[in-house]
Amino acid sequence: MQALKYARAASVDDAIRLLRDGGEAARVLAGGTDLIVQARERRREVHLLVDIKRLAETMVLAYHAPTPPDAPPGFYIYPGLEVGAAVPLYRVYGDPDVQRHYRALVEASHVIGGTAIQGRATLGGNLANASPAADSIPAMMALGGVARVVGAGGTREIPVAEFCTGPGRSALQPTEFIVSLYFPPPASRSGSAWERFIPRNEMDIAVVNAAAYLAFEGDTVSEARLALGAVAPTPLALPDVAAALVGRPLDDAAIDRASAAASAAARPISDMRGTEAQRRRLVGVLVGRVLRKAAARARGEEVPA
Amino acid sequence: MTTADRPERPQYRVIGTRAKRTEGPGKVTGTTVYTADVQLPRMLHAKMVLSPHAHARIVRIEGASALAVPGVSRVVTAADLSEAIRDGSNPAVNPSNRGDALIAHTEVVFAGQPVAVVLGESLAAAEEGAAALLVEYEPLPAVLDIEAAMRADSPLARRPAGAVDRSEESAHVTIDVHAEESGSAPTNISSHVSFSRGDIATGFAESEVVYEHTWRSATLHQGYIEPQATVADFQPATGELVVWTTTQGQFHERDTIMKTLKWPETKLRVIGPELGGGFGGKMAQSSPLVSALAVIAKRPVKLVYSRKDDLLAGRPATGALVKIKTGMKRDGTLMALEASVAYDSGAYPGAPAATGALLMSSFYRWPHLKVDGYEVLTNHVSAGAIRAPGVHNVMQAVEQNIDEMARQAGLDAAEVRLRNAVRTGDPMSSGKEFPAIGLVETVERAQSHPLWQHRDEVRAASTSTKKRGVGLAIGGWLGGLQPAAAELFLNSDGTVNGVTGALDISGTNTSFAQIVAEEMNLPLEKVSITTGDTRTAPFAGMSAGSKTLFTMGKALRDAAIDLRQQMYEVAAERLEANPDDLEVDGGEVRVKGVPTKNISYERLAAITTGFGALYKPLVGRGTVTARVQAPGFTAQIAEVEVDTETGFVEVKNYASVQDVGFAINPMSVEGQLEGGSVQGMGIGLWEEYIYDDSGRLRNAGLLDYRMPTAADVPDIDSTLVEVPSEDGPYGARGVGEPSITAGGAALANAIADAIGARVPMMPATPERILRAMGKLGGSEAAGG
Repeated sequence: MQALKYARAASVDDAIRLLRDGGEAARVLAGGTDLIVQARERRREVHLLVDIKRLAETMVLAYHAPTPPDAPPGFYIYPGLEVGAAVPLYRVYGDPDVQRHYRALVEASHVIGGTAIQGRATLGGNLANASPAADSIPAMMALGGVARVVGAGGTREIPVAEFCTGPGRSALQPTEFIVSLYFPPPASRSGSAWERFIPRNEMDIAVVNAAAYLAFEGDTVSEARLALGAVAPTPLALPDVAAALVGRPLDDAAIDRASAAASAAARPISDMRGTEAQRRRLVGVLVGRVLRKAAARARGEEVPA
Repeated sequence: MTTADRPERPQYRVIGTRAKRTEGPGKVTGTTVYTADVQLPRMLHAKMVLSPHAHARIVRIEGASALAVPGVSRVVTAADLSEAIRDGSNPAVNPSNRGDALIAHTEVVFAGQPVAVVLGESLAAAEEGAAALLVEYEPLPAVLDIEAAMRADSPLARRPAGAVDRSEESAHVTIDVHAEESGSAPTNISSHVSFSRGDIATGFAESEVVYEHTWRSATLHQGYIEPQATVADFQPATGELVVWTTTQGQFHERDTIMKTLKWPETKLRVIGPELGGGFGGKMAQSSPLVSALAVIAKRPVKLVYSRKDDLLAGRPATGALVKIKTGMKRDGTLMALEASVAYDSGAYPGAPAATGALLMSSFYRWPHLKVDGYEVLTNHVSAGAIRAPGVHNVMQAVEQNIDEMARQAGLDAAEVRLRNAVRTGDPMSSGKEFPAIGLVETVERAQSHPLWQHRDEVRAASTSTKKRGVGLAIGGWLGGLQPAAAELFLNSDGTVNGVTGALDISGTNTSFAQIVAEEMNLPLEKVSITTGDTRTAPFAGMSAGSKTLFTMGKALRDAAIDLRQQMYEVAAERLEANPDDLEVDGGEVRVKGVPTKNISYERLAAITTGFGALYKPLVGRGTVTARVQAPGFTAQIAEVEVDTETGFVEVKNYASVQDVGFAINPMSVEGQLEGGSVQGMGIGLWEEYIYDDSGRLRNAGLLDYRMPTAADVPDIDSTLVEVPSEDGPYGARGVGEPSITAGGAALANAIADAIGARVPMMPATPERILRAMGKLGGSEAAGG
């Protein structure tokens, strides 16, 4: 166990200042469900924890529908979902708007840890931890998530799909941290789904996980996003596989092609949680399942997690 | 729960009822004091430094870097141990047993072996010091595969050493045949036992269905939730050593410390606090080391294993390799069994080779059999006991072979088992006769269970990617024997207190109280049983081997009868009656038929304890030794659904049928059946030590060492069969161990029923299932 200092940031600027003064071994604390364990097991050198849980910007959870066509002139609200980086998961998956519009996020955040962990763990933390097997990251990728990041150099937006750069490594620069995550509003006839494979029903790290978002115009796929976890050094967005689905109906042949392409695009390793061959097979199976589930949801069918 | 086949028996009032466990509220509300809760003034905290190498020479241990950490008070290595041993010897120098290898001396023989212990003023300091300690190793060739280890030209896992202490192994089972120790030329086979009957060639010649297979099973952790923990308090002024330790047997701990430290038992007190799970794993694992540390430091020392420590440096249950060939006539008559089981004992002896070979070959009436059991040393962590050590490994093989032969012959697999099951008086493969047993009754109940009867409908509910199947398997355990003693005292308020030295596992103190309440004709709440320590309680064997209630229950019954008799003698004088004409009822001793002629328990207490009292205090004593085992048999049925795209197995339904003799507390007994079934599911589907190519454990944590969670386990339907034992209290049998023996095999048979393929390695992980179905190329995960 390392001796740690703790500071609660009074504002976003205060947090940036604390991180700058703390140097390399200063880390942002949200739920701490990864960070505290890593510090305790000396997997990360941490000397200062900067707690960002008391900031309005990191605790926001708000959904705004697209501006209705009959809105009065001048009425405009930036549409979509804003999730503060320190909002605990139980609030995310318990939110009625998230449940209605972002099912993949509900499915992923509902299985991270147990109830006690979900009272603390956050989407921002899951992303910043940048685990290749993170459960929420493929869901955030499929939903077109963007991380809003601040730091001494100012504010910027990083698409979740570009955020992770290696196992435990991200695009964050020193003093930078995630303030919130933004997700665009889903199209009117769209659906999303997330699945993972673990050998048990609970309490496990994904052997493979997969997420899909599909939007339709008529029978034709108008928009598609696919992402995988635990099959590469980072969570893996599959823009090419998804693009091939667009402009045609989602029939069995299209699903099989997407499964095969995803399986080929995966770059899994063999480890104690599964071999490369098993993971490739599971990618194909899970991609088929999330595509079917997302499509069913787009049709308005009620599909349980 | 249903209770079947309950024979005519006396009407009991307290035993046979579903008594709530007396130790339950403290556990549920978090107020129970476990070993890790013990805090003493000036106490040091210990952290073990574990070897990362499976086999290596220790070149150098540099303590300075650890000692530089603030709060670190000492680094203890093997060389220091002689400071703690009364005669100055050092048990860790070329030890024959794991028990003596407190800290590795010059050579490590498994990854996870302690090479040093850092003592600190706080746990954080000790951990920091342990992380900073510099240990230099020179790796040596490691022996990691059972088959390779058995070959004559294999390198040795360890230098051969002297005689082997088998006290832990014998705590579980009492068998007459002991394995022969290996001969003169040193090999990795540290013991070998054989049983044979008839003529094996004739047996196969007369068989019409023959099935031959090789089965493997993984090394397992016992899965106790409370980790290994000891607090030792050494008082230099008096030479007193007081030890709190999580244990299944305080007297075993005491004797082990006595032998290891050469410590007089007059200066030694072992206290076993409430136990947070044992399953065969809580047997003097940490108390000798921590006792030595306290003596060396001359201060109290606490060691609580982290979960990682416990998985790496505990004493897990053996993995095994079983080669088996079985023959049967087409009508279902079993003809021949030829098999060998080789247990991976790890770096020290302790594998149940004799037990495994005996039980593998004794549950059916094989006219011809030849079995061998081998204990094989490797550079894996050395094995200890588990609930029914060694049995699930062999039942996996026997029960899959029987199942497969029944399938090939088109017979009901339950019917084949019933036809060939051993009966009372049949010989075991050792030649010894079975006492009264209820295997047939158990299989009959399983055969008529709806889950088995509806197996065709279950199978028919399969879809193209979700295949359902039902599997049945039997198992059993012969039961341990050990003397036991108990004392009872009549209290001033007419209640009864008792003391034994037995640790309460699975509610045994509650069942003891039920027995005393029954014999004293008191309500249960007027009896209290306390677990004393090794200075305050009479001898008790380990709470292990399915013999705690079987032996100590008898001692308590005898103690109650003794106390009652003493009360009759005093009462007879006061009531001017013959002691033989008295009875106990309603907290009084009465003259039979004349309820008005009575004396209350309170009054009896007063006239045997008061100032100037005329009569001796009333102290009931019961001392027993059990000589006839009470084997317990189980039959278990699993219904599974296999996702043929992913290999995922969902256990849909589960039934456990067991002959328990007589259920003193049916609720506790059901708990035993359910717990054993859940562990069986873990064995069958998830639990496994996964090693890398150099013998390092890769899943040293409960995230990747997968025990079943509540979400993975269906409701378990328990059926208690009650065929009375000859020697157990009220006909009871040991119930703890049989329940774990059949689950892995039942699940394997259910999976085979679902997918039409056999998985040759247990646990049947999704990957192995896909591979068995031919859906995966490549090789298995490393170490799997």
